[in-house]
Amino acid sequence: MATNAIDQTRRMLSLVTYLRERPGARVEDVARAFGITTDELISDLHVLPMCGTSFRGGDLLDIDTDGERIWWHNADAVGSGTGEPLRLAADEATALLVAARAVATLPGLRESDRDALQRATAKIEAAAGESAGASSRLSVTFESEGGVFADVDRAIAERRRLWIRYYSPARDELTEREIDPIRLFAVGHTYVEAWCRLSEARRTFRLDRVAEIKLLDEPSDPPPIEPRDLSEGLVQPSASDPEVVVEVGPGGRWVAEYYPHDSAEELPDGGLRITLRTPDPASLKRLALRLGRDGRIVAPEELADSARDAARAALAAYGD
Amino acid sequence: MAIAKAERLMNLALCLLGARRPLTKRELRASIEAYLEVGGGLGRAGSEDAFNRMFERDKDDLRELGMVIETVENLDGEIAYQARRDSNRLPPITLDAEEAAALTLAAKVWQQARLAGAASGALQKLRAAGMPLADTDGADDPYGGHSALEPRIPAREPAFEPLMLACRDRRPVTFAYRKSNAARPETRHVEPWTLECWRGHWYLAGFDRDRGAERVFRLSRITGPVRSRAGAYTAEVPDHVTVRETVERWAGEIATATARIRLRQGAGYPLRAKAGEVRDVGDGWDELEIPYGHGLDAWLVEFGPDVIVLEPAELRADVVDRLRAVAKG
Repeated sequence: MATNAIDQTRRMLSLVTYLRERPGARVEDVARAFGITTDELISDLHVLPMCGTSFRGGDLLDIDTDGERIWWHNADAVGSGTGEPLRLAADEATALLVAARAVATLPGLRESDRDALQRATAKIEAAAGESAGASSRLSVTFESEGGVFADVDRAIAERRRLWIRYYSPARDELTEREIDPIRLFAVGHTYVEAWCRLSEARRTFRLDRVAEIKLLDEPSDPPPIEPRDLSEGLVQPSASDPEVVVEVGPGGRWVAEYYPHDSAEELPDGGLRITLRTPDPASLKRLALRLGRDGRIVAPEELADSARDAARAALAAYGD
Repeated sequence: MAIAKAERLMNLALCLLGARRPLTKRELRASIEAYLEVGGGLGRAGSEDAFNRMFERDKDDLRELGMVIETVENLDGEIAYQARRDSNRLPPITLDAEEAAALTLAAKVWQQARLAGAASGALQKLRAAGMPLADTDGADDPYGGHSALEPRIPAREPAFEPLMLACRDRRPVTFAYRKSNAARPETRHVEPWTLECWRGHWYLAGFDRDRGAERVFRLSRITGPVRSRAGAYTAEVPDHVTVRETVERWAGEIATATARIRLRQGAGYPLRAKAGEVRDVGDGWDELEIPYGHGLDAWLVEFGPDVIVLEPAELRADVVDRLRAVAKG
């Protein structure tokens, strides 16, 4: 977690309230309770002895640690304003409430989890008072297929294998495969990350593309793999993937919003020249067809040809 | 070396919270080492101004953290400050382990720095208020502390943070916006109401002053900085803002009619999933009826020779038109 001065101040204010109640608290436990590393906690503990109500009068917090436990020697005399936790700020209430409301509306979520979220939301709203007001100005909807979500969730909890019929838009086909689910994640849409027994590799499946799903009796047995880092976005093309160049007019600028790309150069007509990488350029035939007069594939040539051929074949059916 | 900002803010907070009576700026400066040192120390030319600027910024920062700092005039006519305990404390709140686990999960969803920091800060306040640890906090599991469900809210658009603050504080803004099919961006003057995230993209709803009406903007189409404007809103903020309906209409999710198409067997699963009725018409083809909304022509063209539009004629013409453009390409 990146620490800036604001976040650190906020954390230290809560920390002194927490430590006041817990003489001799263990460094490890406190770090866990605050969701920080022990190094971050130790650096806070180095700042606190320089804080107080008067540096001249010597009214500073006498907090120290031997690296294992934390002691506050003058809690009664100094820092009298820190006996109670501080009220929630507007941003804090917003961050918690908007997220809790969004997760609570995920279709397929276990009812017990949904109940807990709703109870917690109501308590936070009450405790935040007027700070909660601004949270209605921000909202998030997660899309999910409730039935599929519930089955995947159950398979993960019971460590069972799944059979799915899955739609691949790139090939416009359904394939059947067995997967060992690892986790569910939602970034706009909801996905399951799994070990795919068909491709013997880690795969990510979007729940709204699962046409059919069955829980199998066999146990799930994914190899130990590091979960994907979601912070960089879902699609992470590799540098060795073939390059595709697309030129779009003003009406095709959306391509740059939906496709991760290496570069998007402005063109004089208000369009873009977009360079992107994909392991399978043929999967972009759909994009080429969709663009119509709003853009064209510049490279590779085979991709441009295949789109043209598909369009001509389609026109034949209209007697064109 | 200058004293770190976190240490200075912490000292100011402790002084204001611990004071039994409002403290003047002079008293605060005398109590906090960083304030004495600023601008080369007390009595130096410019030191007073440097201190005043720093003090104002620090108070604003503490207010952002939720502190209520009262300003009063004391008997000598001097301005004095205090953070009264009763207006700054968190009301009693008791959360059970399940509720704590739910909030811990929710607090992790933000991928935006400011809100991620605020969410962690809120949890820490609740922890100080006695919220129990959830089982999932740092527990051992084969995936290194990842829970089985991980919702994430991305907010990579640079316009997100300034607009979030403008919605919160009800401040008018201006920004350059490029409509989806426009060659050039245009300056828009907006009274922002709400931000909504749908399918991973952020949208702003607000009153567009130039058009004199409500408008929805996609944040990724805002080019350049969002600038705040002074003054109040001129239009009333509605109780209920429906961003999603507008965006769903853009996305063609709201059907206005029905289309009849022929689809090659084995192809077009998502079209079948939306179809009311599927009829086998022989020769490896099915006929189906699907909802017809904005953007259906572009979607159908993606299926190339596996789809033939039967009706309405207008959709058929749009699809043929698009196919011709690609065939010529």
